[in-house]
Amino acid sequence: MVQTAYASVSNEDRNLILRRFGKHISQGQVRFLTAGHLDIFEGERNGIGFKETISGKTYIDAFSSAGCFNTGRRNQEIISALGKTFEVYDMGSTQFLSRPKIEFARKLVDLSPGDLNRVFFAGSGADAIEGAIKLARGATGRKGIISMKDAYHGHSGFSLSAGGKDHYKELFTPLMPDFYFAKFGNIHSVKQLASNQIAAIILETIQGEGGIHIASNEYLKKLREICDQFGILLIFDEVQTGFGRTGKLWACEHSGVIPDMMVLAKSISGGIYPNGAVVYRDIPILTDFVDQHPRFHTTLGGGSDLGCEVSSKVLDYLVEHHIYENARIMGNRLLKGLRNLKNEHPKILIDVRGRGLMVGIEYTHEIMGMLMADLLARVGVFAAYSGNAPQVMRFQLPLTINEQEIDQFLIKIKKAMQLMKIALFFILPLEKIPFIKKYLSDQGFLISISAKLRKLEFWK
Amino acid sequence: MKNTSLGPIKKFDKQRYLSEAEKLFGKGIVHWLSENSLDFLEEKREGVFLYDENGNQYIDGYSSAGTYNLGRRHFKVQESLKKAINITDQGNFIAMSGEKALLAEKLADFFPNTIEGFLFSVVRGEAMDAACKLARGFTGRSELMTVDGGWYGQTGFALSLSENEIKKKFGNLIPDTRTIPFNDQNAASKAISKKTAAVIIELIQTENGCREVDQAYLKNIRSLCDTHGVLLIIDETQTGFGRTGAKFSCDHFDILPDIIVFGEAISSGLFPMCGMGFTSRVKKFFDEHPLIHMHTFGGHDIGCVVASDTLEIYEKMQPWNNAKHQGKRFRNMLEKLKTNYEPLIKIQGQGLLLSLIFSAKEQARQFCIQAKNNGVILLQGEVESKSVIIRPPLTISDEEIDMMTKAIEVALKNLQLENKVIL
Repeated sequence: MVQTAYASVSNEDRNLILRRFGKHISQGQVRFLTAGHLDIFEGERNGIGFKETISGKTYIDAFSSAGCFNTGRRNQEIISALGKTFEVYDMGSTQFLSRPKIEFARKLVDLSPGDLNRVFFAGSGADAIEGAIKLARGATGRKGIISMKDAYHGHSGFSLSAGGKDHYKELFTPLMPDFYFAKFGNIHSVKQLASNQIAAIILETIQGEGGIHIASNEYLKKLREICDQFGILLIFDEVQTGFGRTGKLWACEHSGVIPDMMVLAKSISGGIYPNGAVVYRDIPILTDFVDQHPRFHTTLGGGSDLGCEVSSKVLDYLVEHHIYENARIMGNRLLKGLRNLKNEHPKILIDVRGRGLMVGIEYTHEIMGMLMADLLARVGVFAAYSGNAPQVMRFQLPLTINEQEIDQFLIKIKKAMQLMKIALFFILPLEKIPFIKKYLSDQGFLISISAKLRKLEFWK
Repeated sequence: MKNTSLGPIKKFDKQRYLSEAEKLFGKGIVHWLSENSLDFLEEKREGVFLYDENGNQYIDGYSSAGTYNLGRRHFKVQESLKKAINITDQGNFIAMSGEKALLAEKLADFFPNTIEGFLFSVVRGEAMDAACKLARGFTGRSELMTVDGGWYGQTGFALSLSENEIKKKFGNLIPDTRTIPFNDQNAASKAISKKTAAVIIELIQTENGCREVDQAYLKNIRSLCDTHGVLLIIDETQTGFGRTGAKFSCDHFDILPDIIVFGEAISSGLFPMCGMGFTSRVKKFFDEHPLIHMHTFGGHDIGCVVASDTLEIYEKMQPWNNAKHQGKRFRNMLEKLKTNYEPLIKIQGQGLLLSLIFSAKEQARQFCIQAKNNGVILLQGEVESKSVIIRPPLTISDEEIDMMTKAIEVALKNLQLENKVIL
């Protein structure tokens, strides 16, 4: 059988799993993850981390599936809420009404700022983005969508078209026309594209996959002004920033700017049952369209009865335990600690940035992303780098983390930095040789060299 | 943050819930539901039945668009979900896990012979989008070809290929998609070329009144695909997992696709999971480009446990046998009814995926209302609104089929009476 969360898994089992995964999912993924020492099997999951199945070693989960575990891993209150639904509910029927759907929507709307009073459900972040862009185009009768360079919204048709990175798009072109890309954080760049042909401006208030770039309050306010001026709809992708991640329940609350649509997923699921939603403003341009086309974006997996019961409990938990407040305090503690580390290791870290517990550190060189993932794994931290921006490492810890755990986490990072210093002593001189420098920028090469370095274990 | 204004809503105060739904989801959806007599609250579900807020029992002839193949809240699937949530969680989506690997291996055994690789999504559209991307990525070509009357989902690629009127409101969608006439051999021969990345088709177009593909036409498409190096993508989201009286609809036609898109029947509606299966030849694309297409909730460890266990139930129970048997009985009874009731002009479909075709859209709508009033939930086809689709759980018994037939007969009778009044 070998389901890794269950029991102890032997090395033999491990090879079997890798073989299966390679044969039936992707051999390349096995290679990629092994190179970054991310070939870790999550066993017992609990609180801020998990035990690795084979070694029994404890890991802090600093990735949280890109921000899905805001309420902690396997939050018992949420699990037991789901358990209680089984007597009556299943996913339910798409389009039909039910108590869980209506009650969750009410809760969500009551906790959303301003006149974000209406909801439609979706199965995932990408699916919600699809719905949001459809609503924007349908409601305005316009085609143009302004998105941001380096933006990440998902992999399906509309969301990928709105993606700001060629890496994810170039093998699948042509995608949808009428998407324009502004420079994130640069209001002038948006102004050049804005007109009364544009249906919506869509952005993450903090770019996650793009490398933790924070939009300033001023910038967001100006975007709101531009939208109002041209009758453009403003869409905030809060898939990663929502549900307390940035120190407030929704990231848009930092600026006070209310978008026309707020797109939600990831932590809406409590890390145990998929769901997604778009909360939108109670304004005629939007409500008229939805009322005339109530089934414009139907979904089976989104807004399921079990999913809504879970999501309801997630909101209860965040509010009752002031989780967003904890995220703010712990985030500040983490940022302070990381900035100290940056001062100690200026040759490794060039930037530390973040808000709440959405934090990124930027290395001086791309190859460090992969090396650091490996070193962090050694000291018991699961952290992922984006294959697409390997110089930035994201830390998205569960928001239930406490002070001691933050300090413990910082000690682990510090340890990894020291190991990194040794590694760089060998690698950086190589970078001065032109043809090697070229290789060092190539992802395929990075994977193979990193895998070899890992095998050598030269820092031991 | 607003204060929670309403507090807990009084249980089963239906009007209060409906007015909440109007405020939260819009008047349009509540209007649509009430127009179709579906403005109830879905409460308890059990086997082939669902119950409204007053405890009224209905046979679920809709099955959330072909999701509940093993019935509502199948005991063993539910046990599996209970077990899984007490042990694991979603997991980090980029990571490997025994759960994902095991499910993929089991699926490779379950799916038609040549299907070896798998990718998991949450909704159907996402799976179709992934399939189209895989075809483009693998072939290095961009043209996506489909037939008229298709319905694949709500996401970008899926919508671009679907016969869904509303898509015109969403601007220019995915370029380089083409639609050719269904079951037209000549058109297919002319259209499919070395520029084509994939042909996308449902073998039984569920939402289009269960219109069936011709065997000879399909064989021709397969051979055109082979000649020109084109991938054949078959959408089995509603036809898969036993629905049509075989494991997959492609089994009836003796044809092997390159990619199969499947739906939530994989968990019989207890966990949102869809996905696609593909041949090992096509899988090379994902070997060369790892993590080029990702889903946070796809390959969810809890979902994988549930789906793995559900697959075992499918293997043991082989519900396609019952679907075939009951489908045949049911169809015979429906054919008899057809001769007595004028508004019903045609019956199409296979196994427990059947469609009643009426002479007009309004007839079909009125029929659904009558059926609901007599204890069966049925919906019109999304593409062909003159059709009503019947897709109950495959676990349905003789007695329940008789019950459903009886209700349909009464509904037809009432519809005929009403028609006479109108005329």
